[in-house]
Amino acid sequence: MKEYFEKLKGVLGNKVKDFGVDGTEYSVLLVDKKLLKTAAEIIRQDFDVLFMLAVADYKPKFELNYVFSSYDKPDTIVIRTYITDRDYSIDTLTEVFDSANWEEREAYDLFGIKFNKHPDLRRILLPEDWPGHPLRKDFVVTDEVRNWTGLDLKF
Amino acid sequence: METLKGIRLNVGPVHPATHGVLKVVVDIEGDTVNKAQVEMGFLHRGKEKMAEVRYFSNYYPIVDKLDYVSAINMEVLYASLVEKAAGIEIPPRAVYIRTIMAEIQRIMSHLVYIGSIGEDLGNITGMFWALRERELLMDLVEEVSGGRLAPMYMTTGGSFYDLPQHFDEKAEKALVRVETKINKDYNSMFTKNQLFLMRTKGVGVLDRYMVKKYGITGPNMRAAGIDRDLRKSEPYLAYDKVDFDVVTGEDGDANSRFMVRVGEILQSIRIVRQCLRDLPEGPYVTKTPWLMKIPDKRTFVRQETPRGEMAMYMITNGGTQPYRLKIRSPTFFALRALEEILVGVKVADIVVTIASLDPVMGEVDR
Repeated sequence: MKEYFEKLKGVLGNKVKDFGVDGTEYSVLLVDKKLLKTAAEIIRQDFDVLFMLAVADYKPKFELNYVFSSYDKPDTIVIRTYITDRDYSIDTLTEVFDSANWEEREAYDLFGIKFNKHPDLRRILLPEDWPGHPLRKDFVVTDEVRNWTGLDLKF
Repeated sequence: METLKGIRLNVGPVHPATHGVLKVVVDIEGDTVNKAQVEMGFLHRGKEKMAEVRYFSNYYPIVDKLDYVSAINMEVLYASLVEKAAGIEIPPRAVYIRTIMAEIQRIMSHLVYIGSIGEDLGNITGMFWALRERELLMDLVEEVSGGRLAPMYMTTGGSFYDLPQHFDEKAEKALVRVETKINKDYNSMFTKNQLFLMRTKGVGVLDRYMVKKYGITGPNMRAAGIDRDLRKSEPYLAYDKVDFDVVTGEDGDANSRFMVRVGEILQSIRIVRQCLRDLPEGPYVTKTPWLMKIPDKRTFVRQETPRGEMAMYMITNGGTQPYRLKIRSPTFFALRALEEILVGVKVADIVVTIASLDPVMGEVDR
């Protein structure tokens, strides 16, 4: 487990911090979100898929937990990073991990996070004309949501 | 707007062969699919948002409806998550009860798979047979928990009730019946039926490379020949104390996905028998407060459910409710492969290809 962190630290220096092992899961904090793609490329050497992407809204910042998994070994590694600025954007991982495609679409749908250079950034679970991003903590059920019928959608 | 040769066809969302409300938009030229697009979200009920406004113990009825074909597996997963976060140890009898019920539910889920793939091929008899065998196990679940489809049997710290008296005899009776049916009758209907083989062999091939690309897990992955099962590689519950094999296929087509599930039913029967034999005495639940607070931490749990590796990631902040609960659905990832494997498939095989991935829209849309 420790060797993955050492590998990341070798390239990224003090931009990564260690959270420690919990079972088979190893958490790493990435201080700068711009380094996410570099970190993902290093992780790609040992891991096969983006297992899940858990986003949480800590107003005004977003926390993103990228869980990576491998098919040959039971290890998982969690990269945690924060979006603090107002544009709610981060680099996409689809070029490194193809399985990130729909997970990022889901995060865009429910949280409104924009993934730069994502090939197909559309809503996935909610209808295209849905007002707002419901998993944000400041989402309120407005009249627009209450009166939504879906009749305007092209089918 | 691209020029379209042939026609564009909507398969679903309200179509008996899409197993719920899955919509696939296919571009057809002649009889062959050129392009497929998967659309989902018709069963989106906001379960992740619902978790944020409910106490930890009040979320069990919601996870039941997550994957409504294998509800007990969902309950076990969520219960393990809460127990890991709160640091609760469950008694050995509860561990075995959970293993038994999870495996019985796995058999039921795979029987629904067998039945529905039979129905999609026009083999209605096969469906009725599979549901008939499932009914025997459904009766067991009903006797144990009081519920059938959404039993709500697990709770934080163990299970709601103990197993009833003479449960092992009744379970053995049902298991023997399922085993003989699968070993004998199902050969003529599925596994050695020429018509069935012709319709499923070489259809919807999902090879190793695609499995790793899309992050597919579970029986769909094992059918491509990857030997991986969380019950073996990171054992939870009582899976390290029982003896069973990981069933793998070779070709990765619809037929090997089917055969992997048939094999898994037989392995699950083995597990249930061993657990019933070794079932320890003692309490079946650790009493936990109905309202509990979990400190500020992040918990990650993943388990092997009938559809693949399901995981939950929970962020707690010291309150009585989760701050955020993320559910990883295995078929969410498998359905993405549909866009690739449907290309080049004949129109008549679309429904078989969809059915062979075993999607349950309840967990995909959450």
